Amino acid sequence: MNIAELQAYGYFALTVFMVLVLYGYIYHLYSKKEDADGHDYEEYSNIALRDDVTDTPVSAISDDKEK
Amino acid sequence: MENRPLEYDYTVAKMFMFTTIVLGIVGMLIGVILAFQLAFPEVNTILGQGLAEYTNFSRLRPLHTDAVIFGFTLSGIFATWYYVGQRVLKVSMAESGFLMFIGKLHFWLYLVGVAAVVVTLFMGITTSKEYAEFEWPIDIAIVVVWVLFGISIFGLIGIRREKSLYISIWYYIATFLGIAMLYLFNNMEIPTMLAASPAGESGIGAWYHSVSMYAGTNDALVQWWYGHNAVAFGFTVPIVAMIYYFLPKESGQAIYSYKLSLLSFWGLMFVYLWAGGHHLIYSTVPDWMQTMGSIFSVILILPSWGSAINMLLTMKGEWQQVAASPLIKFMVLGSTFYMFSTLEGPIQAIKSVNAIAHFTDWIVGHVHDGVLGWVGFMIMAALYHMAPRVFKREIYSKSLMATQFWIQTLGVVLYFTSMWIAGITQGMMWRAHDEFGNLAYSFIDTVTVLHPYYTIRGVGGLLYLVGFLMFAYNIYKTMTVGRKVEESELQNASPMGA
Amino acid sequence: MFHWLEKHPFFFAVGVFVSIAFAGLIEIVPNFAQASRPVIGTAPYSTLELAGRHVYIKNSCNACHSQLIRPFKSETDRYGHYSLSGEYAYDRPFLWGSKRTGPDLMRVGNYRTTDWHENHMKEPQSVVPGSIMPAYTWMFKNTADINTAYAEQLTVAQFFAVPYNKEVPMKDGSTKIVKMGESVADANALALEEAKAIAADMKDQDVKDAVANGQIPEIVALIAYMNSLK
Repeated sequence: MNIAELQAYGYFALTVFMVLVLYGYIYHLYSKKEDADGHDYEEYSNIALRDDVTDTPVSAISDDKEK
Repeated sequence: MENRPLEYDYTVAKMFMFTTIVLGIVGMLIGVILAFQLAFPEVNTILGQGLAEYTNFSRLRPLHTDAVIFGFTLSGIFATWYYVGQRVLKVSMAESGFLMFIGKLHFWLYLVGVAAVVVTLFMGITTSKEYAEFEWPIDIAIVVVWVLFGISIFGLIGIRREKSLYISIWYYIATFLGIAMLYLFNNMEIPTMLAASPAGESGIGAWYHSVSMYAGTNDALVQWWYGHNAVAFGFTVPIVAMIYYFLPKESGQAIYSYKLSLLSFWGLMFVYLWAGGHHLIYSTVPDWMQTMGSIFSVILILPSWGSAINMLLTMKGEWQQVAASPLIKFMVLGSTFYMFSTLEGPIQAIKSVNAIAHFTDWIVGHVHDGVLGWVGFMIMAALYHMAPRVFKREIYSKSLMATQFWIQTLGVVLYFTSMWIAGITQGMMWRAHDEFGNLAYSFIDTVTVLHPYYTIRGVGGLLYLVGFLMFAYNIYKTMTVGRKVEESELQNASPMGA
Repeated sequence: MFHWLEKHPFFFAVGVFVSIAFAGLIEIVPNFAQASRPVIGTAPYSTLELAGRHVYIKNSCNACHSQLIRPFKSETDRYGHYSLSGEYAYDRPFLWGSKRTGPDLMRVGNYRTTDWHENHMKEPQSVVPGSIMPAYTWMFKNTADINTAYAEQLTVAQFFAVPYNKEVPMKDGSTKIVKMGESVADANALALEEAKAIAADMKDQDVKDAVANGQIPEIVALIAYMNSLK
């Protein structure tokens, strides 16, 4: 098997893999709606809206340290 | 510590706002001169025969592209980073003396780099590679500036209060990494002063001269992998970073879908780099690469439109704001132009279309509807939004801003429509044969026919420059005589005077 | 990606880097060695030609002129045989250009002469009525930088094994040797010898005088380069 043939197989396998990853990812995002920390993904949009230095972070670094 | 509430510190952001405006004027002014040189060649000797060497089209052309890319756009990216970065990470630069020092050093070294670039390009010291014209000593300076930018980004992230990185931060990180990788690989070169002659002499000739590590087709491949993706990580990624912050903030609307932003970010990261091959269609690079470049360019529509649609849908139910605020107008038209040029690009990447479009003004038109309509509008909108917060003053004039919007929009429309017609006309004339199979037109026929379109383009560019000067004036007046505002007025919509 | 990366900047950066570096790895690396072999008939640039190439680059001629003939009838009719990868083996940097405001120059040496270039560079409209190309009068005054061209020859011979002073095969079965000087003085003498042949075909008295005095104006080097493009 020469390099070009190997590239061709690799390309096909990669395409299939990428399609699976993409649809798996979309399915995951829209079925679970929450990340591992239990936040709804959409809550993170508020980072931009409530961005004064005194506003409460959506998920504060300090929460980690208390645990 | 003195007993004062913590505030964001915009010192460095202000410095870069200044260079954004100054270099924007320089870059666009040179652009307008170039446009008129093509329409009226006498403009080449506008400062007389003695200075013709320095006012000539070919000497000015790299100065235009580099002033706009590495002057205006890059300054805009830095200015917004030093603003947005602090806010979405909820940490002030005043909290770290180190980061403040790095930020200032970043600015001053950047300015030294800009000065070196201007001088050398006027002298004709160039490697000829588009958007990578600088010789090795400047390349090294640029790498240092870039590393400082990286330290700023990751340093600020390191002391953040908000654990989760906001969408804009992803795009800034990608800008940093993307440009770093591309720039390093494309500028691999050997200084010629290292060579020694058989007679034992060394350090021969100009010390700053270098020779590319790659030859011919390989060099072209690496260059367009760079050239295409310098556009990706200079004109797309960081500008998306800006709109993801400034549009929601100015309109008070949360992003339409955070999940869609996740999807389009990772999609864009994966797909963009493959598309570089579309600059080399029908060249001597292997066929499979050309095809791949073509296919991935079409796929690229998905993640690009993912971001753009997310932006437009953010305005859902709030479209009256577009009518009411010229600032929102800039951003909404900006994302519309983004959709437009990310559709146009893939169309030009289709092989049969590329056969006509390549080497013509249609490509120039494509670049400019993206850069004037998307990059320029977005950076100006970002600076307009930042000005009241940075200077604690109201934007000087809303009506001036609205007038500027319409003048510049007209400018962009004139620009790209004339270049479309020019490009397709020339592409079709080059390939036309008469009934006996001979070429129907000599080359000069295909040049003289473009004169009216070149003139229209010059006028379009001039209108855009006039608008930009109005922008500069408006910001200057905001800084100096704008009404002072309270923190409470700065929540969402920016305060504007009549 | 699953909002874990988005909270861990280091791994996030690694993730982004892997995603963007991937394409370059697949696209660029495999064909790198193959694409750089010269075809028969392609010889390295002489000192004067290389100095002319530097003049070409210094004035960004590549901003308006391509050096890439695409495989279409209209292009081969107009400019000659379509470009082959191996013809660029000694081009560092490549000068394909991205815009044809003026015509392609890949094989301009086949159909333009020293005399034509001299008139054209001095006043383009006198040769091509309606041309929008500016005149390049300073090339008749500025002196070409032969030393830097020589340094570049030494560099490419040393680092990339470009065959100077060696036989290279030509299309008609013969061989050609492109000479490179032993020293700076030698290189200048070689360049001057070539320059004299070109100046003999030129009309500009200042240029002729300069060459007679051992100076090589930029225009002479540029024309040497133009004539070598075949």
